[in-house]
Amino acid sequence: MSNYILKYSRDERVKYISHLDFVRLFHRAVRRSDINFVFSQGFNPHPVMTVAQPLSVGVTSDCEYMKVGFDGDYSEDELVSALNAVMPPGYKILAARIAEGREIDLTKLDRAVYTVELEYEGVADTGSLMQRDELIVMKKSKSGVKESDIRPYIYSLETLHDDGKILTLRMCLASGGAYNLKPRSVADAMEKYSDNFKAGFMNVHRNSIMCVDKEPF
Amino acid sequence: MITNRDKILSAVTKPTRYTGGELNCVMKDPSSVDVRFAFCFADTYEIAMSHLGLKILYHTLNERSDTYCERVFAPWTDMEEEMKKYGMRLFALETGDEVTHFDMMGFTLQYELCYSNIVNMLNLADIPVRSRDRDETYPIICGGGPCAYNAEPVADIFDFFMMGEGEEIIHEVVDEYVKWKKSGKTNKRDYLKSIARIEGVYVPSFYDVEYNGDGTVKSVTPNDPNAKSKIRKRVMKDFDGAYTPETIIVPFGEVVHDRVMLEVMRGCLRGCRFCQAGYIYRPLRERTPQRLLSVADKLLKCSGYDEISLSSLSTSDFKGLRELTDGLLEITEEKKIGLSLPSLRIDNFSLELMEKVQKVRKTGITFAPEAGTQRLRDVINKNINEDDILKSTDMLFRGGWTNVKLYFMIGLPTETMDDVRGIAELAQKVLDVYFAIPKEERAKQINITVSTSSFVPKPFTAFQWAKQDTRDMLIEKQNELKSAIKSRRIRYNWHDNKTSYLEGVFARGDRRLCDVIIKAVENGCKFDGWGEHFDFYTWMKTFDELGIDPDFYTARERSYDETLPWDHIDTGVTKKFLINENEKAKKAQTTPNCREKCSGCGASSFGSGVCYE
Repeated sequence: MSNYILKYSRDERVKYISHLDFVRLFHRAVRRSDINFVFSQGFNPHPVMTVAQPLSVGVTSDCEYMKVGFDGDYSEDELVSALNAVMPPGYKILAARIAEGREIDLTKLDRAVYTVELEYEGVADTGSLMQRDELIVMKKSKSGVKESDIRPYIYSLETLHDDGKILTLRMCLASGGAYNLKPRSVADAMEKYSDNFKAGFMNVHRNSIMCVDKEPF
Repeated sequence: MITNRDKILSAVTKPTRYTGGELNCVMKDPSSVDVRFAFCFADTYEIAMSHLGLKILYHTLNERSDTYCERVFAPWTDMEEEMKKYGMRLFALETGDEVTHFDMMGFTLQYELCYSNIVNMLNLADIPVRSRDRDETYPIICGGGPCAYNAEPVADIFDFFMMGEGEEIIHEVVDEYVKWKKSGKTNKRDYLKSIARIEGVYVPSFYDVEYNGDGTVKSVTPNDPNAKSKIRKRVMKDFDGAYTPETIIVPFGEVVHDRVMLEVMRGCLRGCRFCQAGYIYRPLRERTPQRLLSVADKLLKCSGYDEISLSSLSTSDFKGLRELTDGLLEITEEKKIGLSLPSLRIDNFSLELMEKVQKVRKTGITFAPEAGTQRLRDVINKNINEDDILKSTDMLFRGGWTNVKLYFMIGLPTETMDDVRGIAELAQKVLDVYFAIPKEERAKQINITVSTSSFVPKPFTAFQWAKQDTRDMLIEKQNELKSAIKSRRIRYNWHDNKTSYLEGVFARGDRRLCDVIIKAVENGCKFDGWGEHFDFYTWMKTFDELGIDPDFYTARERSYDETLPWDHIDTGVTKKFLINENEKAKKAQTTPNCREKCSGCGASSFGSGVCYE
């Protein structure tokens, strides 16, 4: 048996699938293939898998990672093609790496790059936002909704496109266990720190997850 | 790109109910087909996707290159609000296209309480609700399923109904549709005429209903030369060879029956007198274990499901059960797949089987004695006696099971308070069985749950003439039962009698109820099967508004001479047989099951199944 890290994407077609539903979906996909899972021991055996940073409902992504135990030695390419043959349309396994003997630690992933389309009214000024020393917004955490200074966790924020109604932004934000910042909080800050900006609906796409400035693979 | 679809889906619970795109759903180019068919189920995604009939008809229709069958379900109320906000109409899951100008819409009528949702769905689609208000630019709307046997309460809505099993008839009506469409599709009546002669097709607008002064039906008369005087249900004579899908859509979210369902038989040989399914699906026909094993293997492989369940009305009566389960266990043990075996009688064989399939956890076991005393069980011809139950529970308790559920009905014909108290006594006896077993030989912490539902007389059963208990009577019986249950280890759940009442009205209703249903939806009724949405007061107000007394349909004992609103439908089981069964019920005489002795119900005229074993 070996542990593998899989990198995969999900597109528009499957972006409303919740994390728990994805776990079940992946179990079923593996059952459809000839690959064997490693099952957990105990009362209710279930396949062993960990998703690095579960994606919010409605978000598309090019860069999801999960760790899975498979019973058998499969080559990395073999695994990618076997899994792609059984995943529902909308998911794509991009690459696989054997976890043993390599320096891949998914818990060290600490930031993510997003492309965000944001409907707005008023005037958008991301430049002046980034010049501020602190950006305090209400933010949900494990212990409830609290004020938090999100400025240190916005590593970059740039405007890719602005048609007066929809703003296309590229942002690099802290993610993971230590501090997790969602693009919605950045929009909240834009609203709070300008006199004339109202944020509306947003579409989010995750471009990459990194450890400092490097993708795992 | 930001779309309204995203805005809508981001604002609702369980968005994957509406996205489609599940594994094994069928994708086609709609411009390449003649017929766009919407298979409609007037309830939520989770209920609809658990329905076996949908799976069969969806896939068999999609095997046609000239037809694209898509699924259309009732949007939950939050989705309905969002759709209205953005001007979005009712849409099909596969393409997301609105159904307003599809070719055909087929609703499966699984329970009476979905009628308001059918009307609501048509409203959301911007389709006129009444058949007479729809011209040929709108879809032809058809219905099938158990409630179609007396679909008079929704007769004004539908263009036609299909009686009985849909596997073949659905193709025949689609074939005619294709012809009609290619001939220019000018007059909807032409299409209806062309299908009215097909066995099993019922075009309600081709029949005039007259009423007597007392409100009962005087006559149902064909008004078109193509309309048959009796509409006979369709039956798959060769059930083993009949179409069954070898693929299955795998939902993203959890649905009610989230597993492979293997239909081992159709029909039932028991003849319980209250059970509509037991009569309308006659005769009992089985599939061979070989066919079932091959289908099971394909379904498990293409879905990745980790559970398979046998589906039938009474699995213990399946002759090939041992061969089938032996074969299935070979597949399931290796692949760690769960095998669930509902509607199984408890005996040594089934207990041994349950030991095999439930190696680790011992979940609850359900018994359905249906009535509390032997007299009443004889009345309803429920072939299970106290001894069976006590012996089985003894085996179960010794085998480690501790959760026992007992299902009963209250309000059955001839029921007295003694019968009601008999329910409590039977539950107490089950508890006594547990305590009679030495402590070291039984599992800890016994739980007995008694559930009662309220009996609703259904068409085409021995009790189709019976009076339904009033709500007050049912409440009195529930209270009697509550006080008769002494032990705190016995829990009692009862079913709401308001929904049973409405179900009773529609089950044996006539065409005059159509206006009530349409009006009730205008008044806000929908999702009547859901406690949080069921609005009894509005229903009663609507009956009142239209001057219709709902008690007329429930509170009266009908005479054998009365023309019943569904008398022009022929299920194969004769009225004479049902009268005889009803008379035997009054005398608490039982009728043997079909394998013991044929009682001449009439279903042998279909030339198949248990009648010819």
